[in-house]
Amino acid sequence: MILIHCPYCEEDRPEVEFTYGGQAHIARPLDPAALDDAEWESFLYIRSNPRGRHAERWRHAHGCARFFNAIRDTVTDRFEVTYKAGEQAPDGAAR
Amino acid sequence: MLEIAPLAVAGIDLATGTAAVNGMVSGLPVCIAPAAPLTRWSLRARDAGALSAAIGRALPDRIGVVIDGIARLGPDEWYALLPEGTVLPGGAGLPVSVVEVTARAVGFTVEGAGAVAALARGCPLDLAGFAPGRATRTVFETVEVQIWATAPETYHVEVWRSFAPWLWHSLAAGLALTAGLD
Repeated sequence: MILIHCPYCEEDRPEVEFTYGGQAHIARPLDPAALDDAEWESFLYIRSNPRGRHAERWRHAHGCARFFNAIRDTVTDRFEVTYKAGEQAPDGAAR
Repeated sequence: MLEIAPLAVAGIDLATGTAAVNGMVSGLPVCIAPAAPLTRWSLRARDAGALSAAIGRALPDRIGVVIDGIARLGPDEWYALLPEGTVLPGGAGLPVSVVEVTARAVGFTVEGAGAVAALARGCPLDLAGFAPGRATRTVFETVEVQIWATAPETYHVEVWRSFAPWLWHSLAAGLALTAGLD
């Protein structure tokens, strides 16, 4: 079982308490009406699928219930770092 | 040994109480019993100070810590387990939510030298380092529960009412099964 460090609980907690929330740091367009179809498609559907480090959202659903962000390696499944929602990704983090 | 399938369909009347079950897990004694009636309050606020002032009670600063029957579950969420009939001021007009949820959940007490082992059959949380005075939301198998460490080797398990018969049977069956194997 993987242990995930929750930045709010400040503890390593079992993976089954968490749910995956997709790629992190996807900014909602400030003026959606100004986007053309291709840009809107890109915002809604187009996500990176890296082999390696990936910035992604997780939710401590059966714990403090908070969303937070994590850098996880998609090859090894190892969590490099987790940090609170709204905080900057650590330097060098994959987007 | 208890048969799980007949138990699962039989159900139990939690409103009228259920006899305590004694058993062994890993050679250690465990007793599970329905907890005494309590009053439950769900407390939400972005500003802990405003909530504390509204209800006139101290709130724990750290997630997972209990002070005077109130546990901090998340950054903006507290849960109070108080003596039956306790009423908290509602905080009308303030940006806080103080809601009684007594009927939402029931409590079980898991007690004894084997209590950690009994809970660990379904809960992956590291309870060995879970000292009295701590409480957290977690899962038992697939059911969301809260585990409160109330005293050494004594745990209070909060579970949503509709999941309670299943959890009760799962805990009881675990004790019986292990006792049979031991």
